[in-house]
Order: sequence, then structure tokens, then C-alpha cells
Amino acid sequence: MAKTVILRIKRQENPQANSRWEEFELTWKPGMNVISAMMEIAANPVTRDGRPTTAITYDSNCLEEVCGSCAMLINGRARMACSALVDKLDQPVRVEPFSKFPVIRDLSVDRSVLFENLKRVKAWVPVDGTYDLGPGPRVYPTEQEQAYPISRCISCCCCMEACPQFNENTGFVGAATIAQVRLFNQHPTGKALKHERLQALMGDGGIQECGFAQNCVEVCPKDIPLTKAISDTGREVVKQALKDFFRG
Amino acid sequence: MVNEKNDKYETHEYDVLIIGAGGAGLRAAIEALAEGVRVAVVSKSLLGKAHTVMAEGGIAAAMANVDKADSWRTHFRDTMRGGKLLNNWRMAQLHAQEAPDRVRELEQWGALFDRTADGDILQRAFGGHSFKRLCHVGDRTGLEMIRTLQDRGVTMGFDVFMECTIIRLLKDGNRITGAFGYWREQGRFVIIKAKAVVMATGGIGKAYRVTSNSWEYTGDGMALAYEAGAELQDMEFVQFHPTGMVWPPGVQGILVTEAVRGEGGTLRNKLGERFMEKYDPKRMELSTRDVVARSIYTEVREGRGSEHGGAFLDISHKPPEYVKTKLPSMYHQFKELADVDITKGPMEVGPTCHYMMGGIRVEAETAQASIPGLFAAGEAAAGLHGANRLGGNSLSDLLVFGRRAGQAAAEYAKKAVSANVDPAQVAEAEREMLAPFDRGDGENPYSVHRDLQEVMQNLVGIFRIEEDMLKALAELEKLKQRAAHVRVEGSRLFNPGWHLSRDLKSMLMVSEAVAHSALARKESRGAHSRIDFPNLEEQVWGRQHNVISCEGNQMKLQQVPVKPMPDDLKQILAEDK
Repeated sequence: MAKTVILRIKRQENPQANSRWEEFELTWKPGMNVISAMMEIAANPVTRDGRPTTAITYDSNCLEEVCGSCAMLINGRARMACSALVDKLDQPVRVEPFSKFPVIRDLSVDRSVLFENLKRVKAWVPVDGTYDLGPGPRVYPTEQEQAYPISRCISCCCCMEACPQFNENTGFVGAATIAQVRLFNQHPTGKALKHERLQALMGDGGIQECGFAQNCVEVCPKDIPLTKAISDTGREVVKQALKDFFRG
Repeated sequence: MVNEKNDKYETHEYDVLIIGAGGAGLRAAIEALAEGVRVAVVSKSLLGKAHTVMAEGGIAAAMANVDKADSWRTHFRDTMRGGKLLNNWRMAQLHAQEAPDRVRELEQWGALFDRTADGDILQRAFGGHSFKRLCHVGDRTGLEMIRTLQDRGVTMGFDVFMECTIIRLLKDGNRITGAFGYWREQGRFVIIKAKAVVMATGGIGKAYRVTSNSWEYTGDGMALAYEAGAELQDMEFVQFHPTGMVWPPGVQGILVTEAVRGEGGTLRNKLGERFMEKYDPKRMELSTRDVVARSIYTEVREGRGSEHGGAFLDISHKPPEYVKTKLPSMYHQFKELADVDITKGPMEVGPTCHYMMGGIRVEAETAQASIPGLFAAGEAAAGLHGANRLGGNSLSDLLVFGRRAGQAAAEYAKKAVSANVDPAQVAEAEREMLAPFDRGDGENPYSVHRDLQEVMQNLVGIFRIEEDMLKALAELEKLKQRAAHVRVEGSRLFNPGWHLSRDLKSMLMVSEAVAHSALARKESRGAHSRIDFPNLEEQVWGRQHNVISCEGNQMKLQQVPVKPMPDDLKQILAEDK
């Protein structure tokens, strides 16, 4: 018999429903990844024990680990499904939705909390209008090289899923958001809002919730130096807090 | 926004509705918001994940930061020459003139770019551009652009309808009054009333078996516009990028950047021959995209291809550290997705369907389509790129014409009065959409899609010949019949088979337009290569566009003369670098 692969996929009909597991057995193909396996299931949705079922719901887009859509738990680890090669995974491959985000259906979860967090810290550059403002400020390569690693974030939320502090009790904003603060506070025009961003990271859910477990940097598919961004920003937050105190 | 409680459908009302949340859609939304109108953006996927994120090379803009001699005139000339002069010259002019402003603006909004030693935006060389012109950040310029536009849009306050698919444009007489769609998640229908609609829906790659495009690329905008009565132009021009991954199957079509060849990568067939010696001994692997794509294809067709139908692209003769430094993303891509170490062995590559030059026929200044209230920008629109697009010109296209479309749509909406939605149109679209659930028996939409991809790939692909295309048209007729009888299992809750049943309709419509136009154009120009008509034919085909429209229920193809170019632009074209 041809070589096969087995996937155990956690399914959930809707946000309120209970979850259940379904097992699929597919003919092995070279270079198979979790997304391509699920595409095959969609074309012929039958479980391992021969029961017809429905195609699995998941978010995906670029399939080359650039867009950040297909993040999920694979064998317990938060990662991108498009780059999860089946040959490198223990079988059966366990595929589950992120556990810390509300499930919409099957593997698709609501990650809008990241947008809310980015709004909280004003992760943008405040300029008016859409007219040409002339040449921007000069940025030298050394400055650009500092910002570049942090700018690679694909907003997949793996760092938040993996973080022990990211939960309802703490309301922690998570590593990705703090890294964006670091990015925009370095930007020549973005700096104008620096103090507001730092203030937004004080208090409940702010930067002090970080427990330095370092899981974020471990799972980040883009190898962003998240722990460094957090400690650099942490120092800035403390300085800002002192300033605010003496001014207050 | 106004949430009317219709007894049957969730209903929203805006001034401007933008369909598509890639670079063009987001830029249009920002501009329309700045005009002070109410704006909604509808996206099939999640905000910030649109196909634009996959763009690598950069944004072409004659900023002259690196090559001081560059100017909009040279950029205009390069674009026109690359497009084999079939471009809308006014669009090419506006694009070249405005791209630098759009880049500076993006920078002001927070986009990060690679820099020169003097602190300016760094620009890199690219195929067909006379000067170093592509503003970039590493090889992930598209992602940076989307992030910046998305942040900007979120702060300005547009409403985003994520994971929502539009299935019909609503009209009152000849005028657009909004759109009807469904939430992918719940399968519930939604009416979005709008005075103006901007199509920013991208291309049609998913009609081909091997493509670098994502699942969203099913030609929705072109098909919706066509059904609403708008004209499509130059649909025969489909760009195939010479190097996509062909193996393993799960990643087939994913792009392998031109930079691999730029860094010294060689192309060989299964006999080990460096075959570009036969096709372009002077430029070898660094020949133009169309030539390299055709060469690889010819090798495969004549039986000298690799095991999985491609050629071998090899950079492993360079020191491993060099490869990792110069091509970090390619090293990562092959390692992660294919478990291939490109410092040790060759990549198997072949042409991949990459970009649609044709699309909705628009006016240059306003991006307005041929029906009032409908606008189009980016890959969904035709004109700027003519018969062949230069690398880097698509990101600048999104910014320049996204902005123009947003502005013109807002101005149009300010003058327009709101119109009523025709319940009959909505009911018809709903009936059609739900029909696949009611069929007792019928085919799985996936098998129809697979067969469509084979037809387009094999019969209307890189090389075209009359007999193949006649066969393709006959096959497309059969596929349309099959698509009209597909059956979908399960419920309306986030059901990918059901979504595909609708996408199929758009893909089939656009595929038919491609095949008809390709059959009609009896010459080879840019991306359109006819085996039976291998030469440029200036007298007839150099002077006309193929224009597709819907008459009754029939697809009508007519030829429309290319607008004569004013003398000042002619003079620029005649100048040498």
C-alpha cells in the first residue's frame, strides 16, 4: 500500500459549538505541507474511517510564509501551516486552532485583538492629508538597519499564542504590539507620538505583564528580536514614567 | 454607518464602496476618506493579508536618488517600450510623473525603505528599467506597503468588511447603486448601498494550474464589471514569470525571484545543457521574462525538461555564505517550503502565471470604467502596462491609480443622489448563489476548477495557436455547463466548496474573455505569443485594442483604435536614453 500521512484535526462548527476531532488519511506526496494536505481534504472530504464530512475551514493566503494568515497549533506549537512540512512532523499530525483567540470555525480564529492593541499604542505616523509632503527626513542606513528586523512582523499572532502571560487575566498586549511601538518610536516622524505610545504601555495589560518566558522569540516565524524589543521599550517606559512623575 | 433594518438582508449604506483591500483598494480608500465621504472596504480575506504582500522587488519611481539622470520621461519610455506600445500613453505618463510623490507620501506615513549612504531611499535595478529605479525594503516591499496603508486607513476610520465576497453589482438603469455579497464566515447575505464602487480586485491567476497568485485571484472584479455592462480591454495579455517552483506539488507556482539569475544562477535542462545559449546567447539567463519563460517551456515541450516539467536553476556553484547573504528569502523559502538547500543543489523551476495586463477598460485621469459610478485600479484595470508589464511598475500602479480612483469616486459620489436597490436583482443573485445546495446530484466544484486550470494552462498558456484556442473555447463552453450544475455539500457556514462554486463563475467568464481575445490577436506582442503568427504586426494590431463587452447574454469582442499619441510624448519615445 502507498505510504500515507495521518492528520488529526480539531473541528468546531461555530463559536458556541463543542469541538471534536476528525482523522484523515492521505496518500503521502513529497514536500506535502499542512495547507496542501488540507486542500486535498477539501477536494474530497472523507474521514479516515470513510465518513463523508465537510472541508476544513482555515485562513490562508500567500502560502509562502509572508502574509501571516495560516497560523495555528501544529503538534502543539504555534506556527504557520504553509511552512509546516509533513515529513518533518511526528504522526499523526495534530492540527488545532489557536487556544487564546475565539474560534470562528475549525481552525479559523478571531485575531482582531491585535488591531485593537495596535490602536491602543497608536502604531502609526501622525501626518495630515494625502498630498505630497516633499522629501522625507533623511534616514541613514545604520538607523534603517535597526528598524528593519522589527519591521518584518507579519501579524500572525504566534508570539501572543505562545506567551504564558497573554490571557484574559492580564490583558497583556503581547510582544508584537510592543515591537511595533519600538518600530514607530524610532521613525523620524513617528517619534512625535513616542510619549503617548509609552504611556499606553503602562498599567494593566502593559509592558510590565511580560514574564520574560521568551516563548515569543522562540516561535516567531520571522525571527524578530522580540525580547530585545521588549527590554529596550521597557527601559523607555520606565524613563517616561519617571518623567511623568516629576512633571506631574 | 447607517444600518437599515431591512426585513430580509443586513444592509449598509456608504458613499464609496471599495472592493478589494490590496494596495490599490487601500490607497483608494485613504484618498476617498480624505475627500470627506463615507467609505467601506470589502475584502475576501483578512485585512493586511491581501496579495500585494507577496510583492518583493520594489516600487518603480523615477526619484533619481541613485541614478541622477533618471526622470519621469525615461520611466515613461521604459514602460511604453516594455508594453510594446499598446499601453494607454496617458496612464503611462501620469504613472511616471506621479509615482515619486506617492512613494514619498508612503514614506511619510511610516513605510521603511532601504537607504543610500546619504540617507535617501535606495533604488535598485530591474528588468526593462534604464536606471536604478525600484524603491524597496529588502525583498518584502509589498508587505511594508500594505502595513503602512492599513495603519493609515485604520487611523482615518474606514469600515472594513473582512472575509466578505461580492457576488453582484447592483444597478439602477445604467448607474451603479451598490453591491450584494455574502459573509464567508456565516454565509449570510449583505447589501452594501453605495453611490460609487471602486474595483481593486486583482487578477485571474487561479484560472491556471501553475500560478504565483493566491486563492483570491479568481477574476471577480473583471467578471462583476463585465456583468454590470463595463468593457474589458486587452484580455489576451497574461504575464508568465519564467521561474516559479514546480516541485513539490504543494508549492507549485510559488515565485522564485529574478534575483537568483541576477546573482549568477544558471538554467539547465535534463541533459545538463545551458539551453539559453540557443535562445538568447547574448543575454543568456538575464534575457527578458517573456523570452526566458518561452525558452524553458520549449525545452519541456521538446522532452528535455526536468522530471516534474521544468528546468534546473542552479546557484550552488556560489559559496554557501554568498547565497545566504544575497538571497536570504529564497534560501529560506526553499528550506522551509521544499526542504531543499539551494546552496547544495538546483531548484526545479518553470513558468508560472503571474499577472494580468488586461482588465477593466478605464479613463486615464479618473480610473472610471465605461459605466457611471464604477471605477477600477491596479491589476483589475487595463491600460498602463500594455502588452507586458515591467517589474516594479505594479506597486507604483497601485499607488498612483488607487489614489486617482479614490479621488474620482469620492467626487462622483458627492454629486450623485442615493438610489434604491432593486429587490429583483438581489433575489436573482441570491437564488443563483444558493442553487448548488438544492441540486440532488451534480459535480463537485473542485473537479470543474481542476479541469478549467488544465484547459487554460495547456491551451491558452505561454504559446498559443489557433487550433488550441478553438479547442479551449469549446471546452470552456462545456465547463460552463458543468459549473452551472455543481453541487455543494454541507451548510453555508464557512464552506470552501460553496465559495468555489461562485468563484468558478468569475474564472470561467474571464477565461473566456482571455481565449477570445487571444484567438483574435493574430500577431505576437509582449506576453502574447502566437506560434502561427510569430511576429509583431504593427499595421493592424499595433493600432488596436481588443475590447470585450456583454451583449444580451453573449460575449462580444470588438477592436477599438489605439488613441493617437501627442507629439511631445512621441518625441520622448523617440529619444534614446
